[in-house]
Amino acid sequence: MYDLDLLEHTDTVNELLARYGVKFGIYKNNEFKEQLFPFDAIPRKIEKKEFDYLEKGLKQRVAALNLFLKDIYSKKEIVKDGIVPKDFIFASSGYMAECEGVTPIKGIYSHISGIDLVQGRDKQWYVLEDNLRVPSGASYPMIARELCRRSSPATFETNKLEDNRNYPKLLRQAMDYVNVGGHTVILTPGRYNAAYFEHSYLSEKTGAHLVTGAELKVEDDKLYYVSYDGKLERVGALYRRISDEYLDPMNFNPQSVIGIPHIFDVFRKGNVALINAPGNGIGDDKGIYYFVPKMIRYYLNEEPVLNNAPTYLPFYEEDMKYVLEHFDNLVLKDVAEAGGYGVVFGNSMTKEEKEKFITLLKKEPRRFIAQEVIDFMDIDILEGNETLPRKADLRAFVLMAEEPVVWKSGLTRFSRNPDSFIVNSSQGGGFKDTWVLSQ
Amino acid sequence: MGVISVDNADRLYWLGRYTERVYTTLRLYSKSFDIMIDEITDTYQAFCEMIDIPDIYGSKDKFRRNYPFDEANPDSIISNLLRAYDNAVELREEIGSEALSYVQLAIYSMNKAKISKAPLIEMQRAMDNILAFWGIADDSIDSREVRNMIKTGKRIERLDLYARLNMDRKDLVREVNRLAYRITVSGLSYKKENIKMLKELVEAPQIDYYKIVEMAETVL
Repeated sequence: MYDLDLLEHTDTVNELLARYGVKFGIYKNNEFKEQLFPFDAIPRKIEKKEFDYLEKGLKQRVAALNLFLKDIYSKKEIVKDGIVPKDFIFASSGYMAECEGVTPIKGIYSHISGIDLVQGRDKQWYVLEDNLRVPSGASYPMIARELCRRSSPATFETNKLEDNRNYPKLLRQAMDYVNVGGHTVILTPGRYNAAYFEHSYLSEKTGAHLVTGAELKVEDDKLYYVSYDGKLERVGALYRRISDEYLDPMNFNPQSVIGIPHIFDVFRKGNVALINAPGNGIGDDKGIYYFVPKMIRYYLNEEPVLNNAPTYLPFYEEDMKYVLEHFDNLVLKDVAEAGGYGVVFGNSMTKEEKEKFITLLKKEPRRFIAQEVIDFMDIDILEGNETLPRKADLRAFVLMAEEPVVWKSGLTRFSRNPDSFIVNSSQGGGFKDTWVLSQ
Repeated sequence: MGVISVDNADRLYWLGRYTERVYTTLRLYSKSFDIMIDEITDTYQAFCEMIDIPDIYGSKDKFRRNYPFDEANPDSIISNLLRAYDNAVELREEIGSEALSYVQLAIYSMNKAKISKAPLIEMQRAMDNILAFWGIADDSIDSREVRNMIKTGKRIERLDLYARLNMDRKDLVREVNRLAYRITVSGLSYKKENIKMLKELVEAPQIDYYKIVEMAETVL
């Protein structure tokens, strides 16, 4: 079925991934462990024409989300015009009042957007989630491609596809475009973060220095990197890989020990670019997700190219009624959770669990969304010499410099459990390379 | 970027020290293992004394099993290798993925050695990986400062170990000269008087090994 020389080299590629430390960190029983991220050599293939369609839709979606963020932290016209209820703005855990009236350099909020999609059996693509804070995962298919080409050159001679190893170049362009003068750095919470491999690998590949909060300081409303001989080096752009609330203990969570005191003040004065901008979390909110097609119509006056998964907001009386009537056919998601957590399938609950959940849903309707369970198109994975169907999603990346660019690849994550729809690495999932065919 | 943080300078130095410690102790262990094949009474205690680690083993067999592989023992070879990795993994952008991969490969080799019927052969591979790490670090790291910080750590550790092992004068003279050169080009602030003293100590009619260790340990 798969005439690919590469498949004979799956073990070799996985050995090479282990050699280069392609791991993610996980906490189990209060203990930190590094795990290898299992790679499956059968690629997800996307035809050129199909990717052109995705590209158009992704650019449109990210453009609308950027306009939404700009609007929400300034005039709030979308609220005034009754498109998005104000409850969905101010009650969102991602909304940050501190960002009111603050415009990031060149008006870009989301420099790197990770949009999660699934493909239904009808071949239709659906957007499942927008990740505008710190989307991770691009480094995995990128290094996998490098190692696959090394393991099986023949595969890449016979298959003509877009080279995905340009991600660091695109990322660097996005960072340089907003740099206000000085070094470009990547801020990591440190080695014990789940995505530390990615932080360090992107740092190596982009030439941006990897730093922790303790290595940076604010002086005279500017951000500096402190070198070992005590010199202060100006930082003009900071790609932060930590959440908004931990970024600055003086402005946000005072308990944070991984942020930089007063960095938000520097950002507010336009003296450093923060990538992505603080406050973007509202765009990740699963409740706001429901409104993205409406945003596209409102801000761009266009019909959305990409569909959302059919979603209901129990916040609305009519939707609540539908959710209660069709509970067993729906998947319910806590809007504040991520990483595959806070997701429950109506049909998997016991009677008691269901009753308890419905009580909570009625009490806090804003906290949940409900979606039709999309019948994902299965993707084959290799198990020994067998191929087995598994659920998989695709995280596509859009990078914003002068123009938005959709990276011609993406992270395909799959569930290793045949009965599961959850593909997250933290829950045991694996990954594949995403091939975008060039012809 | 061309600038190194305090933390990374420290990590580079300790990466040099730990890789050297692993390399030299692996070599010594292999040599001692060979001697132990023929011995009637245990001499492993002398090995522990020589490299200044507590004798927590109780027998030759336990020493041969635990000293290289026991992760719970902070003096074991694998523990030192894991400390080298702890530093290296936070230096990917300074040393590069290729150099880092050889530290990772050395760990895999030690893990294989632990369950192998011929552990010394796998341990040889771990030594090869350390040598490859140094080779690639020298060959592919553009920043002279970065290379010199690693090498300074390596030179201090080697001199320290050689003095503890009461090595020959010619070995000590060579290592002091190498350290004296490396430390001056490292950009690290160091005590010049210690280098001067080390030169005198290795030339003295009676070598004071303890003093050499003390001077090496306090040179930075």
